[in-house]
Amino acid sequence: MCKVLPEKCGCDEGAVMKEFMTGNHAIAHAVKLCRTPLIAAYPITPQTPIYEKLSEWEASGVLKGIMMRTESEHSAMASCIAASLTGVRTFTATSSQGLALMHEMLHFASGCRTPVVMANVNRLLAGPWGFWADQTDSLSQRDTGWIQIYAENGQEALDSVIQAYKIAEEVYLPAMVVIEAFFVSHFMETIDLPDQGTVDRFLPPLDLPHRFDMDKPGFLVPVVTQELYREYKHRAFLSMDSVKEIAVKVDREYREEFGRGYGIIEPFMFDDAEVVLVTAGSITSTARVAIKSLREDGYKVGLLKIRLFRPFPYEAVRGALLGKKKAGVIDRNISIGSGGIFCQELKSALYNSDTRPLIYGYIAGLDGTDVSPETLESIVVDALNKDIPDKVPVWLRGN
Amino acid sequence: MIKDSQFAIPISYGSTEVIDTGKWGFQKPHPQFLTAPCQEACPAGNSIPQFLYLAQKGEYGKALLTILKENPFPGICGRVCFHPCEASCNRGEYDESVSINALERYIFDTTIDQEPNLNPVQNGNGKRVAVVGAGPAGLSCAYFLRLLGHKVTVFEAYREAGGIMAYGIPEYRLPKDIVKKEIARIMALGIDIKTSSKVGRDITFDALNEYDAAFLSMGAGISSSLGIEGETFEKVMHGLDFLMRVNSGSSIPEGKDVIVIGGGNTAMDVARSSLRNGCRVTIAYRRGRPEMPAIKDEIDDAEEEGVQFEFLIQPVRINMLPDERLAVTFRRMKLGEPDASGRSRAIPVEGTDFIMETDYLFTAAGENVDLVSLPKDLTKNGLIYVDTFLRTKNAKMFAGGDVIDQPRTIVTAIGAGKKAAISIDLYLKGVSPENMFSGIRVGDKGSLSFEAYTSGGKFEMFRAAQKVVTLDKLNTLYFEHSERVKKRKLNRETALQNFQEVNLGLLAEEAIASASRCFTCGTCNYCYNCYFFCPEGVILLDPIKGTKYVDYDHCKGCGTCAKSCPRSVVVMKEL
Repeated sequence: MCKVLPEKCGCDEGAVMKEFMTGNHAIAHAVKLCRTPLIAAYPITPQTPIYEKLSEWEASGVLKGIMMRTESEHSAMASCIAASLTGVRTFTATSSQGLALMHEMLHFASGCRTPVVMANVNRLLAGPWGFWADQTDSLSQRDTGWIQIYAENGQEALDSVIQAYKIAEEVYLPAMVVIEAFFVSHFMETIDLPDQGTVDRFLPPLDLPHRFDMDKPGFLVPVVTQELYREYKHRAFLSMDSVKEIAVKVDREYREEFGRGYGIIEPFMFDDAEVVLVTAGSITSTARVAIKSLREDGYKVGLLKIRLFRPFPYEAVRGALLGKKKAGVIDRNISIGSGGIFCQELKSALYNSDTRPLIYGYIAGLDGTDVSPETLESIVVDALNKDIPDKVPVWLRGN
Repeated sequence: MIKDSQFAIPISYGSTEVIDTGKWGFQKPHPQFLTAPCQEACPAGNSIPQFLYLAQKGEYGKALLTILKENPFPGICGRVCFHPCEASCNRGEYDESVSINALERYIFDTTIDQEPNLNPVQNGNGKRVAVVGAGPAGLSCAYFLRLLGHKVTVFEAYREAGGIMAYGIPEYRLPKDIVKKEIARIMALGIDIKTSSKVGRDITFDALNEYDAAFLSMGAGISSSLGIEGETFEKVMHGLDFLMRVNSGSSIPEGKDVIVIGGGNTAMDVARSSLRNGCRVTIAYRRGRPEMPAIKDEIDDAEEEGVQFEFLIQPVRINMLPDERLAVTFRRMKLGEPDASGRSRAIPVEGTDFIMETDYLFTAAGENVDLVSLPKDLTKNGLIYVDTFLRTKNAKMFAGGDVIDQPRTIVTAIGAGKKAAISIDLYLKGVSPENMFSGIRVGDKGSLSFEAYTSGGKFEMFRAAQKVVTLDKLNTLYFEHSERVKKRKLNRETALQNFQEVNLGLLAEEAIASASRCFTCGTCNYCYNCYFFCPEGVILLDPIKGTKYVDYDHCKGCGTCAKSCPRSVVVMKEL
């Protein structure tokens, strides 16, 4: 794949397509490239452009297949599960209230071992009401048995959707790719659109061994005994656990094919860091800038981006953070009664070790405001100055 | 036992039917059939939703048989009935009523060459019944009595049977070959008819007592006189006599001025017949247009054809002019308090007299019964007096039609003939009619169901059916709005040239479209709504066998079928 414009290069490889578009549209393009024939969705700000773009393509025949415009997100997920069980690749997208409405169906999707892929645009949950970026919606669903990938920007979102299908269809568990409202969903970037042929080679058609059999009709999924239930859940657990390795493998394969890879975590300016900022999503981009600036000012700081959240990359995170002195976790979310959710998960992963770092929790950008480099710098300074982390996370005001 | 694969999910190949989920319900659906307002309004109790359901499917032969169960004159009624069914049609409140009248005609016209196989006559029991008058009431009575197995003899004063249908209504409204065909169908059941046999002239009234029972239906054939000076002039004629001449091809005035006194159907018939003879016609009526008793269609048609109307005038004197034209003195009227018929009284206004000249004056201001040969104790107020079971003071004698106190329409006469046949049958069996009549009512306006009567006592379903379905009981979400098909008629110039039938009837596709507008209130037409909406799939329908089945073991009684039934034929009953 030639990354230079063909006029300049003169080679005969396929040209790289670059277009200027929003994160939402980048996701829509990914769905089209994956040749997803069944989309069942319901519109909700700020996901609506994904819904509208796919709808346009379906109406004009560019996207071959059926788009079901359901009466609610609950029905959308139910439709995706049922369609998936006929052996068809499916997609839906939602946000906030819509994701909350789908909640029981999310359990069904993983319980029925369907490789549904969903894009969730992080938007705060009412009440009070608002539209701004907040990760609480997807994090609230962390117990539903879904794979969760947090993308930093539109390009990563596009690539993650394609990777998500591959991962999900290997383990038969549903996967969600998560981006933040407006910061990623509506911001425009230059997006590298992969070539269709390469995507086709990377992502073969879905084969679902446990799909509906018209010749042998049965009832999916009936009441089971207690022992059977435990057994089904354990198998799902094991499958989910294997995703830690499969996600790494798929990401590596993706890098080989398309020239881009992200890993399941990404350490940045890490090696001699005394304090590590831990981020997910678009705040990571700002943190990269802030860290560089702090380094120039002599601070020994590093950054750890968490991309794969479910399954939680236990070994990778331990490998990165054990031995570090301090970690400041930035959560654009809150679990009221506890603290930031990435923070809790991190603490849990690092607990059983003598060399675990002190973990400082920060709630920033919860209100959907920008988390500026200055805010990040203040977090680093705060963590460096405090010998012991506070019992509760520090809440930071937005700009 | 789970398959080895890590991603297995449970699949059940068994059935959950063993769980009788029906036990959880506290109410269950039951099919019901209710009376539609149209069939209640029909004095003959015609099974309108049933025959329109068959017409919707194009099964016109079966539709004809359905009509013939309750009314032996579909071809005639389809042309001249005043269609109270259409005024009560639930669809009329929704958008426009169903074209029931036009469809009845279409069903007859389209099956005209078929010889319907009427129900085989039940075993005769040797009873002999006399029917006096072969008009709509008499012939209906004869028809139903014959279907009940009795031996019937009809006495008809004129040369031909038919009464008002043959002699009264003009050809352009009711072609005589239609009348002949319908009468032939009745006669084919094996009825003895003696024409030119007038009771009181050719046979005595007492001779009727030799029969086991008798039905008096000689009609009201004597025109009322105006009671004014000059009424005996030759050019002053009774409207009914004029019509008889028209219908028997005798000579009638041509190209003259005609005034018709009266506002009923006879007046309209006289006026329009005169028009067809090139006359200039004026109808003079003592009340206003809204008070005219004629069928509205007839009044509109008369006006369209060019009849002039003068309202609120009454003739007080007729004088002859030197050139033999008539000078009729009219007095203006004003409307006062309502009279017994509920219409405003007409009160003469003194000092408003004026004269209209004309060549002919035809009177059509009411008809009376010829009481001359009837025993005095049977009559009251100029009519034969009967009870609700159409019994006269003479236990053997029954009466109906224009001779009794009932609205003077053909379909009301047909209804009376049927009611009398049932009443006579019960009398001959020695059974009192009270219980029986209440069990075979079609709604509450007096009509009876012959099908219920002959159902061999299994008329519980008919008893339950006496509740009438109103529009609020229908689920109209399933009905798209539509207009009635407009009546096709000959244009005015063509119509007035002769006496050919003016109304052209429906075309085949118009018939299907019109029949499909019927909601079939209270009668299942197998629309399958209940089947489609049942979340459990426990409803089974068979339109060919005409059955509806609910699997009560698995019906949870959610009531969706009842709610989604457009025509109210499913009712939820608590257990």
